[in-house]
Amino acid sequence: MIEYLVFAAAFGLLLLGLHRKVIARIQMRPGPPVWQEILHALKFSFKSTWVPKTASATLYIGVVLVGIGIWSAALFVVLAGESILILFAIYMLHKVVEHGFGLSSGSPYGKFGGVRSVISAASEIPLFVTISAIYLFTGSLLLRDIIAYQGVHGPLLLIVPPVAIAMYIVILSKMPYGPFSIVESKELVSGYKTEHFGVWRAGISVIDGLKTFVLLYAFVAIFIGAVPFWAALVIMTGILVTLSFVCAVTPMLSPFDSVTIQGLITGLMLAYVGYLWWVMP
Amino acid sequence: MIAMKRRTITYGLAASVIAVAVAWAALAAALIPLWAAETVIVIAFPVLVLFLGLWWRAPGGEEDIPFIGY
Repeated sequence: MIEYLVFAAAFGLLLLGLHRKVIARIQMRPGPPVWQEILHALKFSFKSTWVPKTASATLYIGVVLVGIGIWSAALFVVLAGESILILFAIYMLHKVVEHGFGLSSGSPYGKFGGVRSVISAASEIPLFVTISAIYLFTGSLLLRDIIAYQGVHGPLLLIVPPVAIAMYIVILSKMPYGPFSIVESKELVSGYKTEHFGVWRAGISVIDGLKTFVLLYAFVAIFIGAVPFWAALVIMTGILVTLSFVCAVTPMLSPFDSVTIQGLITGLMLAYVGYLWWVMP
Repeated sequence: MIAMKRRTITYGLAASVIAVAVAWAALAAALIPLWAAETVIVIAFPVLVLFLGLWWRAPGGEEDIPFIGY
């Protein structure tokens, strides 16, 4: 099982490297090699490491452990075909982890990043309500039941495309350099990650790799259904390239605009779910 | 003090490796259910990642005060 975690973290980091490469090429830059994020994780692992004097040491280190732990659990939940409610609960825990990262160091950059993670949670998390539309069709939120439903009726991507768009926007919100990436925007240096360096930053890289893999794999399972594992990896890569295009051509929004736009999308999606609930027998 | 820290890190790394290996072996031998093995790994894997890095890292510096504004 640990091999799944190592593979998922490495493949997720490879996808994040590809993300940077695609953005760079669209912006007419050579960009880093696609394995750059893996090299970063390894490099940070043998950097000098200590805890800043202003930090709350327990929280400062604890959030890294919790972050890796929750995304490890999320990977097992997805691979076992368990409830997507657990997956979304873990996503909400991740917002707490981001907040903890930001507040633990004592740096104002980190604190602002942590505060912004709470602001963005207010608009990202309600997007999950639209996943209730899936329940209207499948009668279950267990991933294996959702996959079985799609085996009979076809991909949910074609049945309820607006819901797939909502989940796509949730994943876009978690991508670095995206329009909604306000938690780690450059005016805050690296946002909530600013004061986590060395081994702690290597831990954050593992979190990012696992998170990217889990969210994309869950998207494939929820909206496309059962496909061979290699095909899932290819589809995940394809989805990531589309996310990279969006990130490359969209400026990062201000926190206010980010929340407003996500809030508007949430409103539209809720109206759509209400419509489905109204018309469905 | 530094030697003691090094020893603590080595013990932590060894404990996490042993926990993962035992969970894996116990699952393979059908002694524990899948969820139990996964729970052990979810707890031990983060410790393994951080302690491996701390064990591998360059010597740590003195703690410092980050930039906290003007």
